[in-house]
Amino acid sequence: MEASTENESGVVRLLGLGNEILADDAFGILVAHEVERRFQGRIEVAYSSAAGFDLMDHLLGARRLLVVDTIVTGRAKPGAISVFTADRVQPAPGGSPHFLGLFEVLAVGRKLGLDVPKETIVIAVEASDSTTVGGPIHPDVQSAIPEVVELVGEFLANGSLDDPGPLA
Amino acid sequence: MDSRRITIEPITRLEGHGKIEIFLDGQGRVERAYFQVPELRGFEKFAQGRPAEDMPQITSRICGVCPTAHHMASTKALDALYQVTPPPAARKIRELVYSTFYVEDHALHFYFLGGPDFVVGPQAPAAERNVLGVIAKVGIETGRKVIAMRRKLRELMVLAAGKAVHPVFGLPGGVAKPLTAEDAARFREVAGEAVDFACFTLGVFERIVLQNSSYVDLILSDAYTHRTYYMGMVDEKNQVNFYDGMLRVVAPDGHEWARFKPDRYLDYIGERVEPWSYMKFCYLKGLGWKGFSEGAESGVYCVAPLARLNVADGMATPQAHEAYLKYHGTLRGRPVHHTLANHWARVVEMLYAAERMLELAHDPELTSPDVRTLPAAVPREGVGVVEAPRGTLFHHYKTDERGIVTGANLIVATQNNAARIAMSVEKAAKKLIAGGQVPEGLLNMVEMAFRAYDPCLGCATHSLPGSMPLLVQVRDPRGAPLAVLRRDSDGSIHRE
Repeated sequence: MEASTENESGVVRLLGLGNEILADDAFGILVAHEVERRFQGRIEVAYSSAAGFDLMDHLLGARRLLVVDTIVTGRAKPGAISVFTADRVQPAPGGSPHFLGLFEVLAVGRKLGLDVPKETIVIAVEASDSTTVGGPIHPDVQSAIPEVVELVGEFLANGSLDDPGPLA
Repeated sequence: MDSRRITIEPITRLEGHGKIEIFLDGQGRVERAYFQVPELRGFEKFAQGRPAEDMPQITSRICGVCPTAHHMASTKALDALYQVTPPPAARKIRELVYSTFYVEDHALHFYFLGGPDFVVGPQAPAAERNVLGVIAKVGIETGRKVIAMRRKLRELMVLAAGKAVHPVFGLPGGVAKPLTAEDAARFREVAGEAVDFACFTLGVFERIVLQNSSYVDLILSDAYTHRTYYMGMVDEKNQVNFYDGMLRVVAPDGHEWARFKPDRYLDYIGERVEPWSYMKFCYLKGLGWKGFSEGAESGVYCVAPLARLNVADGMATPQAHEAYLKYHGTLRGRPVHHTLANHWARVVEMLYAAERMLELAHDPELTSPDVRTLPAAVPREGVGVVEAPRGTLFHHYKTDERGIVTGANLIVATQNNAARIAMSVEKAAKKLIAGGQVPEGLLNMVEMAFRAYDPCLGCATHSLPGSMPLLVQVRDPRGAPLAVLRRDSDGSIHRE
């Protein structure tokens, strides 16, 4: 049943978001595959190309969640890594009503008392192109994959990640 | 001419896409405005050289929002390509899955996605115009009801289509597996609940929107009204159908302007490229492109729930038909030209989808093991069309004799609506901008104008940053910024 109140399972999950056929957008999925290979049994791994409310299915049942995704701030170089906790981002109406992001879905889950993670840490990598179907992944985004996998290892070893500061 | 340019763009992963640009003339008045639909580049090239059978999986992956619609349109295009007709059970399973998807998509839209504008209300402070504001208004119990309904609908999708997010069941000439008697029983049970849920939702709409005269005034207001043509799919009785049928176009006065088989779409729909935009604007070929104008002479048309209820003479199920009559009665007859009525039309359609689910779930033929007609013909060309929740969706493939794609064309819902969206943005901007002054209220008004169409801005965006601040840039003719108006994700507005 989704509407439980408290999750004591202790499940730690990594959620890789992106799309393997959309150039740099493949990043989150590629990291998830690598984490699955390297840290099997130490962290639950999920990945999704979905947007909006479908993300809910990947949030439920984990106590701590690491989200790996790309971001386009336009203020950083491709491959630049940002780490921040989800509570630093506020829900917004969005440019399209059918756009509902991770943070809105988390907020809805929390408000309705669903079994969403107590803590969500986002590792985001600046992308240069996420809209060319079948496009190549930028070399600097590609080389951020092992770095982010190392960060996940660090998280698993220490139980936390340093927040390097505000979004790029 | 001294032309100044204003850009409003959401700061998302899709930077440079889904943005609004407003051009000012020498007097600082709005000359033209348009909305840039996000376009995935390279799709046709990516498709070329791949087996056509892969297209239902590939196209459903390019959109993170309505993969089921792409999967279905693509599967139908393969039927046409291989000249096969699916057996009755396969056709019914497809429509059942599609109806299930519709109930879920329309429900989420009404409650969580369109809600910030409609349920919370356009006059509410920006900081409340989000999903949490919606839950505060409809109540936590209703919110939980929506989530529980969604979960059951998605379980059905997995039962029939393998995966809820990216279905894998459509094959040329049928579906991958038949439904068991147990599956059908589960569909019957949940479909009954879905009908109740849709009726409950109509009640919520009446309570929150219809009983609030300021909302009704807003729906009827000139700011959100355009007298254009409408297009949508209908069955043989000219009732709404999402899965299959003829495409019907009605004129601004409501008379039938065209009714054609979807594979003839190129005879009816033209695409116009404007020199100042990379995007294409669809128009009706028989009328021609007369610019961004409304009325019987202009080829501008629109799609989606408002359009579907305008082209249809009724709904094919009893309770939805009753709701359809009330809708047109309250909004002063057909066609309804008020863009914001899309929200109401969506709830009427949700009830139809639920009732259709129930009908199909009771059909004894549903569990027939005969779910595939094997393709034997040499493939050449195929068109597949469905009504996606956001409007008519076209998939068109050409292949060589081995079924390897040589050409592909997609028209998504938002492209059909692009010209009308531009007109709505322009109308909102004209009301607010004078003498080159850009007031802060512009952000909300313009945003409401394009959000009413539920544009496919979500294609390819998945989650980050999750908030979508807006930026207005006023530029001089050389492109240098003169002023910046920014609204952050917390709703605060800044001038730089």
